[in-house]
Amino acid sequence: MQSTRLQNTLKALLLIALGLFLYSRIANGTLFYYINERFMGFTIVAVFGLLIVGLSYRYSNAQTNAPQDHAGHSHAISWRGALIVVLPIALGILTPPQPLGVAALANREMDLGMNNANQSLASNSAVVRPREKASVDKNILDWWRDFRTLPNANQALAGQEVKVTGFVYKDDRYGEDIFILIRFTVSCCVADASVVGMLVQSSAHQSLQDDMWVEVTGTFVASQLENWTLPIVAAQQITQIDVPSQPYLYP
Amino acid sequence: MVVEGCCLCYRFWHFCKTGVSYQSGFFVFFRQSFAYFMITNKSTEPYLPEDLPRVAVATPASSASRILRWLLTIGILVLVLAAILSNGLTSGGGRIFLAQRFQTFVTIFLGIFIEAAPFLLVGSVVSGAIAVFVNQDFIDRYLPRRALPAALAGAALGLFFPVCECGVVPVTRRLYEKGLPMSVGIAFLLAAPVVNPVVLISTYAAFGWGPVLWGRVGFSFLVATVIGLIFHLAQPRAVLLPQVNVAHDEAYHHHGHAEPATQSGLGTRFQQALMTAGDDFLDMARYLILGSLLAAAMQTIVPQAALLAIGQGPVLSVLGMQALAFVLSVCSTVDAFLALAFSSAFTTGSIISFLTFGPMVDIKSSLMFLGIFQRRVVLYLIVLPFLLTLLIGIFWNLNIGV
Repeated sequence: MQSTRLQNTLKALLLIALGLFLYSRIANGTLFYYINERFMGFTIVAVFGLLIVGLSYRYSNAQTNAPQDHAGHSHAISWRGALIVVLPIALGILTPPQPLGVAALANREMDLGMNNANQSLASNSAVVRPREKASVDKNILDWWRDFRTLPNANQALAGQEVKVTGFVYKDDRYGEDIFILIRFTVSCCVADASVVGMLVQSSAHQSLQDDMWVEVTGTFVASQLENWTLPIVAAQQITQIDVPSQPYLYP
Repeated sequence: MVVEGCCLCYRFWHFCKTGVSYQSGFFVFFRQSFAYFMITNKSTEPYLPEDLPRVAVATPASSASRILRWLLTIGILVLVLAAILSNGLTSGGGRIFLAQRFQTFVTIFLGIFIEAAPFLLVGSVVSGAIAVFVNQDFIDRYLPRRALPAALAGAALGLFFPVCECGVVPVTRRLYEKGLPMSVGIAFLLAAPVVNPVVLISTYAAFGWGPVLWGRVGFSFLVATVIGLIFHLAQPRAVLLPQVNVAHDEAYHHHGHAEPATQSGLGTRFQQALMTAGDDFLDMARYLILGSLLAAAMQTIVPQAALLAIGQGPVLSVLGMQALAFVLSVCSTVDAFLALAFSSAFTTGSIISFLTFGPMVDIKSSLMFLGIFQRRVVLYLIVLPFLLTLLIGIFWNLNIGV
């Protein structure tokens, strides 16, 4: 690829393609499968930026090309380089967009917010103070914070109404009719995802499958698992729902 | 660890003095495994001054060694795939599980890339603007060339260029091409991802005024300055990639030869800046993409529990958090929030190491360094911050408190 014209066309196409790819993620609503919503502005800036930078090659001529050669800095892009740049677009198009699910749990730590029954609550200064919300508006993360910060959360929360959404992870280590309702929390992008979960007790346990998104309504029941105390949700109703447009919680 | 450190120090001094790397098996391995990623820099032979004996240097890339390198790379890829496959097939669910693993890999890869792309673009635009609008005289006039002031200035430069670890790489490369002294660039590259207003605010939001905030900023500044000082002795031609070095040399020694095209109109210059930004973005995006792929693969394969279980002790906890920082490749603007989740279970020293080492070096940024520096220099830029932040973390745990 010696010709400057061909080079410029290729570069422009790559930049514009990347911009359009980012735009497609915003347009089809899957952007939040990858990043925290507060970074959406940056992605929009990147879409415009890539398009503008890509289009700037359109108006290149001999005069504008000169300084680059003069600096002795060859910026020719090889076919292999172009292939690497195309890789995110290809992978993004070939595999259907999907948020992190049960498969991502395999190598991550799950935190259910348990407290040691034999110790008084250590001051969890690291846990951000919970915001005041009505109990049915609280999501898994809000409850998890309550578990960690309220003195004697196990007893204090018993009887409270719960309405939470998450995906199902069937793990019978806590009991046969208990599954774990899970959400990932993401502060920047999915690379920093961590897991919060709640134990849910339900007789409809059999009809559920891993990765199924559900809304659970029920009440808290105080419980003790070996040395750990944790409120468990006794489910009254479990409804299957679509994958939410914002599958992650933002701490 | 100490023996290994000394050994590396020796190699580093050898390299500084002669510009020739003391090749060991690992270096050759490193060189070979990354050689084929280098696209513009096709020659893998290091620059050798004529008057130096050609000792212990890899032979020029012949077709045979080329084939060997490819075979080695394919071999590693097959091994990695086999590791994923066996993992997927034995943990039940078989192929469906494997497909989901791959899906997870793609989601994490795209997550890192989509998150980093805007910051890389901003860095590239700044780089393009510097290329066209900043005069070399400006750098000559305002940046010191003596060792200590230069390194200090480099470490503080981040306050004026608020770029994170992705954006800092194209800016540093452009500044080198404008004749930036070696030590200033290295210190800037290492310090800027932490010593900048955005990261200061996010760290404050996570930890408040306290030892973690001051430790993070202070030690990043210190480590960057020290490494900058070390590189003050190194010759640019032994450090920079040939194509960066040519421009650097021209700018550093023959002032005014490579001036920006001041005679052209403002519109043309804007367009030049944009095109340079596009070139830089595509150039760096390759490394970012390869780095994101590697980081996503590590995140899919390596169990975090294994890294975190490494230990609670004053030494092992630091190593564990450093390994985590390297593998996660999280942007420095938000890693404080991530560290917060670990702060109750881990020693303060290890948290400070995580917050100091992570922004300087992780999988994706070290791959991007390959766009500026020669490969063995990139290795030093990984190992030196690693050893220094390890020392700081252990010192903190033993002497100041856990």
